[in-house]
Amino acid sequence: MSHRQDSPERRGIDRRRFLTTAALGGATIVGASALGGLDADAAFAAPMPSLDPAIAKSAFAEGRITAINGSVLEVAGSYGDQHLIQLTNATSVWKLRPTTAEEIKVGDGLYARGVDMPDGTIAADAVWVNIVNLYCTVKGIAKDRLHLAHGAQDHAVVGRIVADTTTASYLGGALTSDLSRVRIGQSAQILGAWRPEDDAIDIARVTVGH
Amino acid sequence: MIPIVSDLAPLLCGVLLAVTGAGKLFGRRTAQLAANTVLVRVLNDGRRAGQALRAVGAAELAVAAALLAAPRAVVPGVATAVLGAGFVGYLGYAKVTAPESSCGCSARAEGPIGARSFARAGLVLLGGVAAATATTAWWTEMIRRPGWSALCVVAAAALLLAVSADLDHVWLLPLRRLRIRLFGSPLAPAGGGPVPVAASVELLEQSLAWQAASPIVRSALLDDWDDEGWRVLRFAGVYEAPGRGARPVNVLFALDTDASIDTTASPAVRVSVIDDATDEMVPVDLLAGSGVRAVLPMAR
Repeated sequence: MSHRQDSPERRGIDRRRFLTTAALGGATIVGASALGGLDADAAFAAPMPSLDPAIAKSAFAEGRITAINGSVLEVAGSYGDQHLIQLTNATSVWKLRPTTAEEIKVGDGLYARGVDMPDGTIAADAVWVNIVNLYCTVKGIAKDRLHLAHGAQDHAVVGRIVADTTTASYLGGALTSDLSRVRIGQSAQILGAWRPEDDAIDIARVTVGH
Repeated sequence: MIPIVSDLAPLLCGVLLAVTGAGKLFGRRTAQLAANTVLVRVLNDGRRAGQALRAVGAAELAVAAALLAAPRAVVPGVATAVLGAGFVGYLGYAKVTAPESSCGCSARAEGPIGARSFARAGLVLLGGVAAATATTAWWTEMIRRPGWSALCVVAAAALLLAVSADLDHVWLLPLRRLRIRLFGSPLAPAGGGPVPVAASVELLEQSLAWQAASPIVRSALLDDWDDEGWRVLRFAGVYEAPGRGARPVNVLFALDTDASIDTTASPAVRVSVIDDATDEMVPVDLLAGSGVRAVLPMAR
């Protein structure tokens, strides 16, 4: 899946081995929580209130990337606002899947969560690039794509199925790579990455049967 | 042109234009539809775009009436061809300048301009040319050759059905459903092996471990890898040790690669917090603030 490596491959593998050992040396916590997550879906939710009052409130930004200067993204917000988003090596980058800052292109859309800095930039904890969340009806199923209709006016959308990435959830079940149970005519929630080049969507997750 | 096609063209074009024209002129949603077309930009005003779309509808109705009433006259056919040519030109302009805009063609379904929109406009153009060359009134032709006429009408209706998105639910979707029922879904069934990473993250996010670690975790998933039956998920975070200030950390979660919310309601997750600068394990009592005491002894 994702391969974020700070150094050449060999060192990356050694680093992972070290981190695996560290991870397995940690305490085991058993049980379920009722709280939601901070992953891709959360980009659409209100910034989650921190459980720890010591942590500053999260800042939130969205818009189109107009320029990339080193590790700073210049973002034009949808409401005429401007943001400077500072990426660090602790910033998670989602673009269909967890990836690296090199995948971010000028013209991409972006949601970012981070912390306001004194110089006016936002130090990003997490950015979601081109993320879209659509409620659609499945109109057609092909080997590598779903034909979808979106909104009250049935706007046609092509959802591309990406091998080893696209997952499905049926009736609230666990996410699975089994896509064969998607049916024509079903209502589906599509979480994915918009493709500026052809206006299609790479599907990360299709949720049906709710 | 084939004589029977030419002679029936006024009927076919007339009915088509009457339906689409009436839809545009009297439709309650015309103004709403116009707002999504390129007309808004051309006319600089949403209200005027709606009026323009209604005016086009009125013109279509007038041409339709002329086609149906005076099938042998040249002028209604030429007017139809001009309308068709106008539609093609409008679609071409809209496609180049605003490809995502709606075509507003049939005043019902909305959708981006595609091959079907051009095919529809082209058919109106061709139908107009055919109608202009009609030599016999369509009612005379239908009485003279009822069988062929019916065939022509059915073929034309099928052609219109194929290029119109409005009626997809009548024939296209059932056809696609039938194909899947006969040949199975073209999409892959589940493969064996570990669950997708997204399923592990989903399980993690519903776990007590995640709740306990959430005051520290700041990023979304940074990295993941599998190692000997374990799936390790790495997040970045900030830990504020009492009296020592905040420091950047890696928060590592390890889960069974086969576990998902389908297999367990009470996930067992190993959590550790590693100082990002020194790689030292940061001693954190994650459950101290969560009100739950369910720490199992470290399994080795």
